[in-house]
Amino acid sequence: MLMRVLTQLVAVVALLTLVSLAAFVGRYRLRDTRTEWRSRVRAAAPIAVVLAVVLLGNSVARHLVPELSWMIGWNLTWPIYDLEGQFIIWLQSQATPTLTAYFSFVYIYGYVFLLVFPVLAYFALSNTRPLRELLTAYTLNYTLGLVLYVFVIAYGPRNLMPELVDALLYDTYPQYQHLTRQVNRNTNVFPSLHTSLAATVAFLAYRTRTVYPKWFVVATVLAVSVAVSTMYLGIHWLIDVLAGIALAHASVALAGQFVGRWSLSERLNGRVPAVSDTGDDNAPQEAHSSDRSGSHSAHNRE
Amino acid sequence: MLAGTASATVAASGCIRQFRTTVNRDGIDQLSISITTVPADSDRESIQLTRAIRESLEAAGMDVSIEMKAQEEFLRTVLVNHDFDVYVANHPGGDPDSLYESLHSQYVDEAGWQNPFGFANLAFDDLLEGQRSADDEDREAAVATTLEAFAAEQPFVPICVPQEYRLARTDRFDGWDADLAPTALAYLGLEPTEEGIESLRLVHTDARLSENLNPLSVEYRDAGTITELLYDSLAVAVPHEERITGWLADDWTWTDGTMSVELREDVTFHDGERLTAEDVAFTYRFLADTTLGETDVPAPAPLFRGRVAAVDEIDVVDDGRLEFSFGVGEPAAERALSVPILPEHVWRPRSEPATASGVRVAAGTTEALVTGNVPPIGSGPFAFVDVEERDHVSFERFDEHFTRRTSVSLPEPTVERLRVAIDPRSASAIEVINGNDADVTNRPLESYVVDDVLETTPEDVGVLESPSRRFYHLGFNARKAPFSNPRFRRVVAGLIDKAWLVEDVFDGYARPTAVPVTAEWTPESLAWDGADPETPFLGTDGEVDVSAAAAAFEEAGFQHDGDHLRVRR
Repeated sequence: MLMRVLTQLVAVVALLTLVSLAAFVGRYRLRDTRTEWRSRVRAAAPIAVVLAVVLLGNSVARHLVPELSWMIGWNLTWPIYDLEGQFIIWLQSQATPTLTAYFSFVYIYGYVFLLVFPVLAYFALSNTRPLRELLTAYTLNYTLGLVLYVFVIAYGPRNLMPELVDALLYDTYPQYQHLTRQVNRNTNVFPSLHTSLAATVAFLAYRTRTVYPKWFVVATVLAVSVAVSTMYLGIHWLIDVLAGIALAHASVALAGQFVGRWSLSERLNGRVPAVSDTGDDNAPQEAHSSDRSGSHSAHNRE
Repeated sequence: MLAGTASATVAASGCIRQFRTTVNRDGIDQLSISITTVPADSDRESIQLTRAIRESLEAAGMDVSIEMKAQEEFLRTVLVNHDFDVYVANHPGGDPDSLYESLHSQYVDEAGWQNPFGFANLAFDDLLEGQRSADDEDREAAVATTLEAFAAEQPFVPICVPQEYRLARTDRFDGWDADLAPTALAYLGLEPTEEGIESLRLVHTDARLSENLNPLSVEYRDAGTITELLYDSLAVAVPHEERITGWLADDWTWTDGTMSVELREDVTFHDGERLTAEDVAFTYRFLADTTLGETDVPAPAPLFRGRVAAVDEIDVVDDGRLEFSFGVGEPAAERALSVPILPEHVWRPRSEPATASGVRVAAGTTEALVTGNVPPIGSGPFAFVDVEERDHVSFERFDEHFTRRTSVSLPEPTVERLRVAIDPRSASAIEVINGNDADVTNRPLESYVVDDVLETTPEDVGVLESPSRRFYHLGFNARKAPFSNPRFRRVVAGLIDKAWLVEDVFDGYARPTAVPVTAEWTPESLAWDGADPETPFLGTDGEVDVSAAAAAFEEAGFQHDGDHLRVRR
């Protein structure tokens, strides 16, 4: 069952990614990537390794977090419900089969695509800073999110109001549960990592909007849809989503601080500016070559 | 001048006295309580009941919040630590005699399903003891009197008995018996429909099974069906006959209140050690006190407390024979034979107090009560193979099991392997069965899917409808005011519209009840007659009649200002 769902997921995300690479990245960047990929991999490798370690650690920690939380955590389900329970009920009352299908699709496929595509899109840039910022922000999301999970115990709307929030996703498409069960524990709803990672992508898409203007629009629409889907499907409260956006904001801001400051690759490369992404008529200004020397360029910041 | 001062002093002291009397009277505030329960992932009906009951209690003027806890955490809070106001949960139920351990005052301070309510009433204790020592003829009347007293006191409020539905693949196995469904016997004696079917695949909607296999754990065991396949008991209940039949015990005879039990010959545990009368005697001593008398505070195994307490003395006659003496009537005594027999060589070391580094562990917590018990070693028809947390537990047939002998005519394990897949929700469990990836759902389906299941089950899948002993209930913590007051509890019972809840929460797949026993044991005076015979609902269609509720509280001696129920703190 799990294998079937996974295969389907990989197929759909691969298809979406291929189409988007053609639409947003373009032939020229892909051509350059073929010649420059070694140096880009070198630049992004350290943070990619850190992210991999964090993800591995996360999969181990997921078993420990609930045990720890029940000893030291605050159980916030009731205060959250008391504060905003009506909103989720209202949102749920808007349910139609089409919306349910759309949000279920977004929650599973759209979300994974949203996280995977920018990695490739930023890899296709000569300037590796966006890529490194993205990977750093992912790492921060997972790390800070895990810390919050330890301290906050909260069940999502579907656990408190099973009949209103008719666990739309799992009852309409039971097979998805095999997938999400591998990743999520039911007490880990504050903050919404779905929202925070999606928002992270959207925030970074805003920073790189001059390079990938169309992607910025798509990323924003998808990120908003992911955030709404978590509430529509009864998985998260509004407060979780807001906390997720705050976490994304913090992660992106911190990633901007960290990247360049503690850059291993730059020390190894002796601060020599690499070949910039010139010759691309779509985005002449995309190579922030000033970034590579460690100083922050201002024009692309929020 | 002096007189003036004196009279001023007197006046002032009078004033201060009045002030003191006024201020030092404790305030009367709105009653604020919290209902503890489990999230929908653990039990969909409990949280729905809880929210409906909260609405009613709020309408009646209380301030009510809900506290959700993970299943094992919930059981620890309510059954072990007694840290709650009221709770809503599913009770495992059982023979009427299980009321003895549920409500006898000698168990108020113990952990487990024995008296989590802290209910203590000497007159009621007498009734419990009376039904326990009754023999077959007098028992029905004794049980009826006890239940009438129960209904008057409302130590907890029984709400309803759910109907249990399970799915089973009839194209792979014959011999599914709905009456057996809640017990391990259901998985023995099944006939594979064709050659080459060598594995029975269960789907189980509760991950706790993959986290802990300790037959004594009150937090991790519900029906205990799977641990019954791992551990044999002296006798097993046969649902058809309301009697028990010998299992590890070949035979038993009664002489003057002493039961002489003969064990089957050449029984071994899964690790090859022989099972002797010493192991049986050890088990009963160990379950009565898992510290084996080594500490000042005894630590009985909560799940089997009442059954083991019926045993006064055990003598080992020889390797294969024991003598039990009981302080109770025969029906209650035979219940004592259904506890799991543990291997002494594995469990004796577990009488040590449990340790957790850096934490002071409560007295009376032994290793035996908290161990995960992996791998479990019993003598039962299936032996443990491996487990993966939140994924599966697998077993293989124990070929030496006595049911495999040609001379024994008991249901036996017919397949070589048994695999329990964990799948947390009914909807996907049904899909797993319909897709022929599993043979049977081990736990009953949640009631919201039953309508669909009855309509759309494929041809090769059978629906097993089983009698249930479980019941949903609202438990009071009688250690705390005002829940210690039976008048208060009776008014609260009247705020629960059981018939409406059955329709609203269970889609009608349950039976509202006033007593915590099966239909056969319900006395006529307490039978459901369209309304609760003892505490009829104060309102209509789930909607509380606020003025009737206020009047009922006033009559019970509480203050109600029309909007708020006020109690002295």
